[in-house]
Amino acid sequence: MIEVKAVEKKFGRKKILKGVSFTANKGEITCLIGINGVGKTTILNAIMALTPINKGQILIDGKRLDKTTFEKITFIPDVITMLPQMTIAEAMEFMNDFYTCWNQERATELLEFFRLNLSDRIASLSKGNTAKVNLLLGLALDVDYVLMDEPFSGIDMFSREEIANVFTSHLIENRGVIITTHEVGDIEHLIDKVVLLDDGIVTKEFSAEEARENEGKSVIDVMREVYKR
Amino acid sequence: MRKYWKSTAIIVLIVLTIGTFYVNSATSAEQHPEFVIQTQSGDAKEINSLVLEGSYTDTSSMNYVSTNLKITADGSTYNSRSFLDQVTGQPPTMIKEFREEYRTFMRGKQSWVNLYFENNDFLAYADVNYKMGSLRTRDFTFDLSVLNKEDDHINSFTVKVPNSGELDHIFVEDIQLFDNEMILITQNIMKNDFNNETHIYTIDISNQTISNHEPIVQDPQGQGDTSFNVQIMRTNPTKANEHLVLIKREVKVIEDTESIREEVINEEIISVNLQTKEKEEINIPDLQLDNNQLSFYDGSTIYFMILAGQELVVTPYSLEKDQVGQAFSIQLSGEKDIVHGQMTTVKDGKLYLASAQMSSTIDAGVIVADLKTTKTLFKGQIALKGSSEEKHHFELYLHEMFVK
Amino acid sequence: MKNYLKLVNFEFNRIAILFSALLGITFVAQIVGVIVQSRSYLSMANEKIYDEMMSKAQFLEIFGQMSFLQIARSVWFMGPIAFCIAGVGFYIFLIWYRDWIGKNTFIYRLLMLPTTRLNIFYSKITNILIMTFGLVAFQLIIIPIEMLVMKVMVPNEFRRDMGVNEIVSSMPELGIIIPTSIVELILYYGAGMLVVSILFTAILMERSYRWKGIFAGLIYSAVAAVVLISPVFLHEFVLNGFFYPIELLILEIVMGLIVLALSVWLSGFLLKNKITV
Repeated sequence: MIEVKAVEKKFGRKKILKGVSFTANKGEITCLIGINGVGKTTILNAIMALTPINKGQILIDGKRLDKTTFEKITFIPDVITMLPQMTIAEAMEFMNDFYTCWNQERATELLEFFRLNLSDRIASLSKGNTAKVNLLLGLALDVDYVLMDEPFSGIDMFSREEIANVFTSHLIENRGVIITTHEVGDIEHLIDKVVLLDDGIVTKEFSAEEARENEGKSVIDVMREVYKR
Repeated sequence: MRKYWKSTAIIVLIVLTIGTFYVNSATSAEQHPEFVIQTQSGDAKEINSLVLEGSYTDTSSMNYVSTNLKITADGSTYNSRSFLDQVTGQPPTMIKEFREEYRTFMRGKQSWVNLYFENNDFLAYADVNYKMGSLRTRDFTFDLSVLNKEDDHINSFTVKVPNSGELDHIFVEDIQLFDNEMILITQNIMKNDFNNETHIYTIDISNQTISNHEPIVQDPQGQGDTSFNVQIMRTNPTKANEHLVLIKREVKVIEDTESIREEVINEEIISVNLQTKEKEEINIPDLQLDNNQLSFYDGSTIYFMILAGQELVVTPYSLEKDQVGQAFSIQLSGEKDIVHGQMTTVKDGKLYLASAQMSSTIDAGVIVADLKTTKTLFKGQIALKGSSEEKHHFELYLHEMFVK
Repeated sequence: MKNYLKLVNFEFNRIAILFSALLGITFVAQIVGVIVQSRSYLSMANEKIYDEMMSKAQFLEIFGQMSFLQIARSVWFMGPIAFCIAGVGFYIFLIWYRDWIGKNTFIYRLLMLPTTRLNIFYSKITNILIMTFGLVAFQLIIIPIEMLVMKVMVPNEFRRDMGVNEIVSSMPELGIIIPTSIVELILYYGAGMLVVSILFTAILMERSYRWKGIFAGLIYSAVAAVVLISPVFLHEFVLNGFFYPIELLILEIVMGLIVLALSVWLSGFLLKNKITV
């Protein structure tokens, strides 16, 4: 379980996060929803200790992050995390070099699934393919948690479908996933839990399934209710 | 392992190359030639305690780096230019010995031998400290220390220089210790007219005060193109002397069309009894020292030395008896020697004489003479060991000689 | 340790092309320098001997033999060295900033590696050291080659051969880069690495706090400098030359090690807790 507890974060004088708390469970897809600039990426960065927080605490399986945590959790940001001059093969080799949890079999599977070319240079890839490489490098790690920052933004329709297919596959099964998005449409049917962010706080945290079953509302319906107020 | 070859290669390259370079430079012997003192006549034992210090320069390349060396009867040793030696510095041998023996006492002390006095019981030191003002130096104070060798007690204190305000600068030229008194001989440069004076300060060590001070010799303002200067006669800097011997010269600057040179037009030799402060002029007819620095005072006798042609003329003068002794002369080898200067020192009744310069075309002689019998005990020459193999262009300058 | 070595190797591969370019420039410029200097000496000799009817002996008397020092003192030789120094100096900053700047967001990956983040610091400083020593080693290798070229061009009687040692000891500016003893090598380059560690710390301060970090970095550098010169300062102005030179050297080494430890500790702290992508 990833626990985010009363996290506050300032950029200069501007408070971006004003005490954000939520949890994300293993085996569930948790979606952070909010408009651009609300601090979704900052939360993911903070979970990965890529940016300091001013207050609060983040626990992963009850422990604070240390170097071994990176074998348990991975982050797929919306930027490429490899050197542009590297080929896909080199990037995979790099991951294999440093991560004991790298799963070469899974990587090969993903490579075929996304129809990527080992010898292609990352810099030469289209935006959609770059995102796929990012996804490949993250998902080929045998980790318990995967964080994804806007995996669908700015990507063509076909790529989007391919990526969405990943979520229903065994590649995601049993993992805890936190995904951020500002448009929930594509993945509404995939997500288990929704965390609505607005103005630096969590405005609502609810189970998508419960909302559907008990109240007969879609995620978008709930969002409408919350934001109208 | 394909991706590791670059860094492996560069690290191997670094280790091999730099390793080889330093192993090589550590094992390859110094390329400097060895100098020896060859005996021409007399007893070679006479130079066993003689040490000549100088510097060697190889002039056959554009490389004008000189290396300090010592030449003794056993041959030459070059000062290593290793980093640690450079850090430690190369103080005069006497200071080095003081530092080894009296490490605590020598802390923070200048390495100028004139500032020290040593006898069997004490080692004394005096220097002048001052503050740098915005316009001029000021607040001169004497920094004095006396080490009692027997109980290792250090008596350190400072005394303000009297009339400090009138001074532009002050240098300690010699110090002497008599029982409970320390005597400082200083060169004072006055502020108002920049005249020099030789001053004597008597310091009462137990009270840590200046009990008496007086100017001994003043060099008055020169007129026109003449000027005065006062020098202390060379003597063993750290040993006790009852007298101070000063040479006061009046110098006239002569401007030729081609050069400017100085000529001594008047010369006075003054001895001062340091305890009674009694002054006495020493008059030796027909003695003209000019500007040479050869004469030496060994504590009881002044040996006036003048180069005349190929001879060194020595005129002894006993201060105890106030009497001029019989002058004698020592034959120098080769005429070139004279041109390039000589060094002298006196110890235990023996006169040591060496040329100050040597090169592939200039020979350098070494002479030891007995001052009582006036006989030459040793005559020799500095030579390159195994010099025949190649003719090297070099220059050897000797600037210091002492007898251990 | 294993991860540190992998990172060192990885970082070196990233710079390898630029590094070989520096080596290439140095080699070409210096060889050209050898040829140009040798030719100009020879043409001068030709002019004096054949046109002005000067005898060989007379010429050598006046102008001297040609030695490698003439080449080493020329801009052809020192220029590339200065260029390499500037290159390494520039790279001290680039080695960090290129992971953040532009399309390059490799810092995400570096910070998410399952290894202590100090290894990033260590691998980068090691690379600066490898580059520096690599250049020194390369220079030591090519000097004999350049001498050989000169040997081929200048006839025996006009030439004075020198050893690498002799050249280095007659040129103080070269003696800093290639000190004459191993002790100096360690001290000089140790001091250099100390400076690099201070700069790295300042860079990480900037990367952690941005604008405020620049000031913090400047202040840290100034404090480090003051701490480093404090023994000399105290020795000169307060203690009236209390220390012997060797004691002062040891004191300085101790101070250097303290500042180095502080820089490493601070960098580790910043990388772990304060760094921001």
